Amino acid sequence: MSEPRHTLDEVQRWMQVVITHPAGPAAGIESREAVQQIAVGPSQVERVIARSRALTSLERLDIYYRAYYARLLDCLREEYSVLATSLGTVLFDSFAVGYLQAHPSQSYTLGRLGETFPEFLAETRPAPESGDADWPEFMIDLARLERVVNEVFDGPGVENMPTLDAARLQAIPPESWPRARLVTAPCLRLVQLRFPINEYFTAAARNETSPVPQPAETYLAVTRRDYRVKRIPLAAAQFRLLNALIAGVTIAAAIAEAAAVSPLPDAEFASQLRAWFQAWTTEGFFVDVT
Amino acid sequence: MPAPPRLGYPDLGLGIGLRSPHFRHILQEWPAVDWFEVISENFLDSQGRPRYVLEQVAERYPVVMHGVSLSIGSTDPLDLDYLKKLASLARQTKASWVSDHLCWTGVAGRNTHDLLPIPLNEETLAHVVERLRVVQDVLERPFVLENPSSYVTFADSTMPEWEFLTRVAEEADCGLLLDVNNVYVSSVNHDFDPVEYIERVPHDRIVQFHLAGHTNCGTHCIDTHDGPVIDPVWGLYARARQLTGGVSTLLEWDASIPEFAVVHAEVQKARAHFEVVNDDKETRRQGGQEKQEGLCADSPCLPVFLSPGLAPIGKSSRAAVSNPVAFLVADAK
Repeated sequence: MSEPRHTLDEVQRWMQVVITHPAGPAAGIESREAVQQIAVGPSQVERVIARSRALTSLERLDIYYRAYYARLLDCLREEYSVLATSLGTVLFDSFAVGYLQAHPSQSYTLGRLGETFPEFLAETRPAPESGDADWPEFMIDLARLERVVNEVFDGPGVENMPTLDAARLQAIPPESWPRARLVTAPCLRLVQLRFPINEYFTAAARNETSPVPQPAETYLAVTRRDYRVKRIPLAAAQFRLLNALIAGVTIAAAIAEAAAVSPLPDAEFASQLRAWFQAWTTEGFFVDVT
Repeated sequence: MPAPPRLGYPDLGLGIGLRSPHFRHILQEWPAVDWFEVISENFLDSQGRPRYVLEQVAERYPVVMHGVSLSIGSTDPLDLDYLKKLASLARQTKASWVSDHLCWTGVAGRNTHDLLPIPLNEETLAHVVERLRVVQDVLERPFVLENPSSYVTFADSTMPEWEFLTRVAEEADCGLLLDVNNVYVSSVNHDFDPVEYIERVPHDRIVQFHLAGHTNCGTHCIDTHDGPVIDPVWGLYARARQLTGGVSTLLEWDASIPEFAVVHAEVQKARAHFEVVNDDKETRRQGGQEKQEGLCADSPCLPVFLSPGLAPIGKSSRAAVSNPVAFLVADAK
């Protein structure tokens, strides 16, 4: 019995390089990484891959090459459907191909394929032509929000646990507030954005058109009830308050942080606080107080 | 004591792949389906609606877990965390069995998310058998291995796929998931007789059949799972059913997914082949018919895939894209 000419490990490392090379299998075969495993040229590839009656070895490898990028691009387009619609397929795919080369999947699940796509877009964005926010930042905002929405959709939620109701919150005696901490829902995420994209995002998700908004710092809470994701606009003071509570600081310290950025007089701010906590408990933002 | 036929796994009847476009319909209608197969990886980490839907389905129907990332043929170490998650999900859903493909999906820590073939020889046979034993130890149950569609064969292969599968199943003492459509697709791509394949695999180890549509590109077929099952595949199914005495049958539809009723009606067509005792020559003629004629009429090649930064289109680039992985689309974001 004849021994295989190449070990399984050599064949697999060679084939992976060949079918994922961005310039196609012929270029992949000639790449340094492939030659390190199996030193054949495109004309000698039948030493590794047999031909069929209808296709050459290279043409057969090309099927896998096409499938690799098409499948993963399709997944990214689905995960970032709002961004893909906004950019158009050609531009979206050009970013996505770059991303797949820089960050090939290392997970058993396609659910993690695009987890660092927003960071990749931010790292590779062109330098702004002026000091103002520009369209790349708008697109990066869309990507960040879309990723958070997807993570909240399939992440831990409060569907099978009680949430903190307003009565229990109001029952906390004032003397306990300096030490009390709120446990926030595991699905509660905050997003700080450079563009007010919430309405644009809603319209795009429904395949409706919406004008691109002018830049303005905005804040959103993203959460989930009954397996449906909700996006709730926040004021700056609300964002600071919730951000501090998620970080685990005491209620009193969180309120102090929010008060520092609130333009409201103290009495009015106190009144607002009650309304905020009332709304947030209704939304299930908190699951416990400690 | 000899192992019972099909390792004791039951005939669940006619099942459908659980796919997110059908979630709402299933939860509202609880359709009269014998069983569902789920893509394991879509639910392993889910803590949201997909997991909730699976729990609801598993309370009412038998569920089988079908994976796409085990990578049993890879030279990378087996991912034990992944295997433990598989075992946990199988316990929670009371999965009737757990399956995956004879393939590798990546190496050097990467996952291409494709079902890539391995050379079929003594070295790779020993490699796969050894790893299957580990998998079965962790899962604490016989594993079920599927024949994939493939588009290349290797100069280092020394045996046909049916022989490799037979020896793997016997040496690892595992079950087989015979994807009849994959046999057909690979037979076109690799110039072998699909009827011989069906007749030579060990029938008492076949736990399940897969059926699906594919795309014929003239020079080769692609396993696209995007349409109805073609007649030559039904012919192979009838023969396989005859040889096994009938086992659990599952229809896969993963792209251009139609309404649930259409998918359900497609798998019901299998009943027409339950009682057909095919003449061997007729089966062989049906199985080979499309190859001789070249193209199936109802599955044109998909549009040419073009993307910036990728190589120019070559001859085989008219290939449709295989779609073995149903990426879970959030249906209620």
